[in-house]
Amino acid sequence: MKTLIHLIEFGLARILLFLFDTLPYRFNCSVSKGAANLWWWVDRKRQKVATNNIIRSGIETDPKKARQIAKRSIQNFSMMLVESLRSDEYLEGEDWQNHITLDIKPDVLEVLEDPERPLILAAGHFGNWEIAAHLVSRYKPVAGITRGMNNPYIEKLVKSRKGRYRFRPIPKHDNNAGRLIEELNQKNILALLFDQHAGKYGVMIDFFGHPAATFKTTAMLHLVTKAPLCYADCVRTGPMQFTVTTSHLIKQAPTGNKQDDIKAILTTMNEHLEHTIRKDPAQYLWAHRRWRD
Amino acid sequence: MNSLSKEEIMAKLKSIVEDSATEPVDLSNFGPETTVEDVGLDSLTILDLLYDIEQEIGVEVEAKEIIAFRTIGEITQLLIDKGA
Repeated sequence: MKTLIHLIEFGLARILLFLFDTLPYRFNCSVSKGAANLWWWVDRKRQKVATNNIIRSGIETDPKKARQIAKRSIQNFSMMLVESLRSDEYLEGEDWQNHITLDIKPDVLEVLEDPERPLILAAGHFGNWEIAAHLVSRYKPVAGITRGMNNPYIEKLVKSRKGRYRFRPIPKHDNNAGRLIEELNQKNILALLFDQHAGKYGVMIDFFGHPAATFKTTAMLHLVTKAPLCYADCVRTGPMQFTVTTSHLIKQAPTGNKQDDIKAILTTMNEHLEHTIRKDPAQYLWAHRRWRD
Repeated sequence: MNSLSKEEIMAKLKSIVEDSATEPVDLSNFGPETTVEDVGLDSLTILDLLYDIEQEIGVEVEAKEIIAFRTIGEITQLLIDKGA
């Protein structure tokens, strides 16, 4: 029975993908916006979480305006899915630079262009992080932690789509303890999202002035492997138009006080992310429970 | 710097593993045959182990060296060979 359900889901996913691949991009965007609006009205719990997060961050204190930002945030997330499904079409062609503006700092560019140096690229759920990963894969292979699908057929389908560009998914609970380190040993880019609730793997770092359990993986990888680390974001500036920006390299040598070292790195990254979000709050995914106290 | 004995390195490793663990781990049988998986190290917690080895035992171990080993005994020997 379970297999049958998985096969039906897989069939529907294939039909949807076919439609998204063949229908005009702008039409897909309209459908995606409609789906996002429907999601917004149905999922009241997420609606509340997103609105409360915006108010708590201090970005908007008026509940009505915060709700408007939260709704646009859901629409932007839905748009991100459409853009990511079509990213090959725009980023693999000769004219990819007509779609992407780069603001990569010189020290980071030096690392990207050196085949002998790996890079840890830390990003938040802002704009279109999938496009950012796709873009940097033009320099060297990219690996990132992905959450597995419950449906094995859809899992395979997703992997085949991502495999079109040089992206290697790493399962969230990989049995290979050294997998992340291996990617850096192979001089690849390790792209990691650091702004989800980290639970037991996290350390409490201020995010918009409130302590939030933050993944320490990026910081620990930098401290242990000495691999270069930077923050990156990908802002949507128009239909299939983006600006990819990086920070300068974030450098922290181990001092012997692990907690202080981690805190220094993660505080810097959170500050970069906050700065990015303030520029266009609706492009941030507010619907996840960042603060859980 | 005085070299550490095998027992001292094992004791330090045990303490480091205890600190790195994110779940309660039974270390009552901790010994040379204990594997990395036995003590619950995963791709995230192994980073803590590497940091602490460098800082507490005073030996710089390249990540690729330690991930090639599976048991605490092998890691201990690696640290001795590196002059711990």
